[in-house]
Amino acid sequence: MYGSSMRFLLLFSRQGKLRLQKWFTPLPERERKKIVRDMTTLVLARKPRTCNFLHWKDLKIVYKRYASLYFCCALEEQENELLALEILHRYVELLDKYFGNVCELDIIFNFEKAYFILDEFLMGGEVQETSKQSIANSIEASDMLQETMEEYMSKPAF
Amino acid sequence: MSPSVRLQELIRVIRSARTQCEERGVIQRECAAIREQFRQNDNGGRSHNLAKLLYVHMLGYPAHFGQMECVRLIASPRYSEKRIGYLGAMMLLDEKQDASLLITNSIKNDLSHSSQYVQSLALCTLACMGSAEMCRDLAPEIERLLKASNSYIKKKATLCAVHIIRKVPELGEMFTPSAHSLLSEKNHGVLHGAVVLITELCERNTQTLDNFRKAVPELVQIMKGLVMSGYSPEHNVAGISDPFLQVRILRLLRILGRNNDRASDAMNDLLAQVATNTDSTKTAGSAVLYETVLTVMDIRSESGLRVLAVNILGRFLLNNDRNIRYISMTSLLKIVQTDHNAVQRHRGTIVDCLKDQDASVQRRALELSLALVSSVNIRSLMKELLLFLSTCPPELRAHAASGIFIAAEKYAPSQRWHIDTILHVLTTAGSDVRDETVPNLIQLITSASELHCYTVHKLYRALVTDISQQPLVQVACWCIGEYGDLLLKGDCEETEPVQVTEDDVLDALETVLQSHMSSPATRAFALTATMKLSTRITENVDRIRSIVSIYGSCIDVELQQRAVEYNALFRKYDHMRAAVLERMPVIDKGQTNGEMSANNIKDLEQTDVKIPEVPLPSNQLCLEVCDLLDLLGGSEEPLQPSQAPPSSVPTPSSTGTGQDLLDLLGGVCPAPVPVVTGVTVYEKNGLTVTLQCDQRTETSVTVSLLASNSTDSDITSFSLQAAVPKSVQLQMKAPSGDVVPAHGAGQVTQTVILMNPNKVNLKMRVRVSYSSQGSFCQDTAQIDSFPTTAWS
Repeated sequence: MYGSSMRFLLLFSRQGKLRLQKWFTPLPERERKKIVRDMTTLVLARKPRTCNFLHWKDLKIVYKRYASLYFCCALEEQENELLALEILHRYVELLDKYFGNVCELDIIFNFEKAYFILDEFLMGGEVQETSKQSIANSIEASDMLQETMEEYMSKPAF
Repeated sequence: MSPSVRLQELIRVIRSARTQCEERGVIQRECAAIREQFRQNDNGGRSHNLAKLLYVHMLGYPAHFGQMECVRLIASPRYSEKRIGYLGAMMLLDEKQDASLLITNSIKNDLSHSSQYVQSLALCTLACMGSAEMCRDLAPEIERLLKASNSYIKKKATLCAVHIIRKVPELGEMFTPSAHSLLSEKNHGVLHGAVVLITELCERNTQTLDNFRKAVPELVQIMKGLVMSGYSPEHNVAGISDPFLQVRILRLLRILGRNNDRASDAMNDLLAQVATNTDSTKTAGSAVLYETVLTVMDIRSESGLRVLAVNILGRFLLNNDRNIRYISMTSLLKIVQTDHNAVQRHRGTIVDCLKDQDASVQRRALELSLALVSSVNIRSLMKELLLFLSTCPPELRAHAASGIFIAAEKYAPSQRWHIDTILHVLTTAGSDVRDETVPNLIQLITSASELHCYTVHKLYRALVTDISQQPLVQVACWCIGEYGDLLLKGDCEETEPVQVTEDDVLDALETVLQSHMSSPATRAFALTATMKLSTRITENVDRIRSIVSIYGSCIDVELQQRAVEYNALFRKYDHMRAAVLERMPVIDKGQTNGEMSANNIKDLEQTDVKIPEVPLPSNQLCLEVCDLLDLLGGSEEPLQPSQAPPSSVPTPSSTGTGQDLLDLLGGVCPAPVPVVTGVTVYEKNGLTVTLQCDQRTETSVTVSLLASNSTDSDITSFSLQAAVPKSVQLQMKAPSGDVVPAHGAGQVTQTVILMNPNKVNLKMRVRVSYSSQGSFCQDTAQIDSFPTTAWS
């Protein structure tokens, strides 16, 4: 029985457009598409003054809206929802620090960076690093490594 | 071939597409170009192209042709290509694809790469989509990296190990030794990973769990350090030092302390400290406190600590943050049974949450409130619940109504309060109550005999106000029919005196009969009530007669049948009308499926009413009772009483308790051997009754019941009654006699014809009554399947 604390993490806009999807359990493509549809429907239907938690199948869904983006994750039954809110918040802070006043457009046009940052923060559905600074340093170093290589190869970056 | 477009340029173009069709066109063209370039093995723009493909994939378009490109890019020496290649692998490949195996070798190589960032890519990808096979292959590598000196790699290797164990649990043994030593790391990332790893190992293996209990003091120390440490900028979140790590440690402590006194003792002080010192003004602190509460309630903690935990939850209820209120109630719900008194202290706050804006908070508040009802607080709490019922969102009404009924039944301080409460619910949420509410309420009303006058007045008033709530109308009609005389008398000490005339009452019932809002069942109630009033009123009997005769041609078959029978009661059988329609006795409260006890049947028997074998009013009376009380119990349909053989009284057949039923046929193996001699249905005290199937068609069965007596003395006053499911018609022919001679000298036979037009599952309950050796006996037998005939 494979179970990670967090099953998936989705970012989508208020119109339901997917901006990022991270899956922490193996699922077929068709299943993933269905889940994305279900999540966007469920979360977008929530009224303003409701709490950030809801139940879906055997999972707890934690979501939070930041400006025009919904951050939505699914937890196993025994997980701590309040901590999940902190996790989502931490990710937003990391993005904000990297992009400087991050907005949805940043994530659209630099989606691969959003993934790289996420992969320094979470791994296998668990928190990997709890220090913001440490993550920022790693990302910076990786970017430098990429640039160095690019410079060396005299090829343009994306 | 169209020129390659930069990624961001492509994104811009896609976004500016005005229609879905336009977007599709752009993407298809670009994908074709990318595909072509993949084939050409173009060295320059490979990572570029893959990035574009990944974007398009996120929009929902197919990207499977990029899978091999991922494999190629991962194998590249260039970091930028590896980076996007691994990302592509995580997005496009899963363990089901063949291509995923192809990257195993690259991952293996990259795990030993000189650059830790390349190692990191490999570790991350393995932990994301590594199949069981890949995990087995690479586990030794990961184990080696666990002991590596670099904390950046160590923390990632640890979580990779977690993934491996989830995929291949047997490999847990490989990582257990290193796991413990990781706890002495200072780096929070590694420490966090270590705690997760140990948790995973303990959850999967009880022996490992036992072993790791010795780590409790160490974990307690680490926690203490976090809680008591000063401000640490690197890990601080709203005044809490590394809440992520704190929560994971608390969770591990929970697992280790569960069902173990020693371990629980060792962590008791720490938990008290965390519970007292953690600042819960922000979510981070609340998250830690929440986890603490969960741990305290799950381990063998001292009662003082438990009370502390419940008080934290109580405090949470007052928090401005809706999330925290929600969490608190979910937790309180889990512990309300075990720590009832502690939770009771917070009842006031819980009841206030009934007024919350959030429906999920309201729902939990409702469940908690219902769980907290006791004989002490029933009156005040019920007021709140009834108030809630009138204002709550519609999706919660049914739940609230049934919860209120259950609570009222358990703790009603008086019958009048009980009736009032049920009436209140019926007027507020009548359409949301369950079907058995009506018979349950009627039963309750009959048992409160001093309150009949009060009840009928209240119900009459409710009826004339509003006839849309069906359950209420049904109960009201029944009461008016039954206690109409009390209603007309006018004076009732408990309510204001009001003069109700016979015409008023008949008007009310007729309104119900004619209203389009009334369901067929409700109209049936109204018609019967009208009929019953014919013996309770004096002046307007003619009006009743005319109402009844009108409905004799009603299009609703049920109403028509009733009306025709009532008509007959007015004409041919008028001499019996008074007896038939007289006041019903108290209905005994049976089990939840409404089984009646044997005593009741005696009460319901109409003494000495002899009726020839035409199905009639007494049937009707009994039919009503059957409507109310589901005699056959459970999901089966209510029984129709048997038609009377001349000498005995028509009554609904009783169902004894389960133990009385001699389910002889139940144990019989269903091998359809035609048995001419019949099946034994009842055998006791020397009396044997067998069932023999005489004839069987698709829609009818004719059986003979044969009674014989092996005792020394005759059995006298022998009689059989039978009951069958509702859609089946029963016809009992006259028995051959009522004395079963001793020593098996002769038999009493009785033929029974069952008409089964709907071809339902045939069952029959038979009641045997007889006198033997001076004592009177009565027994029931159930026949669940009918034997085949001799000829079939």
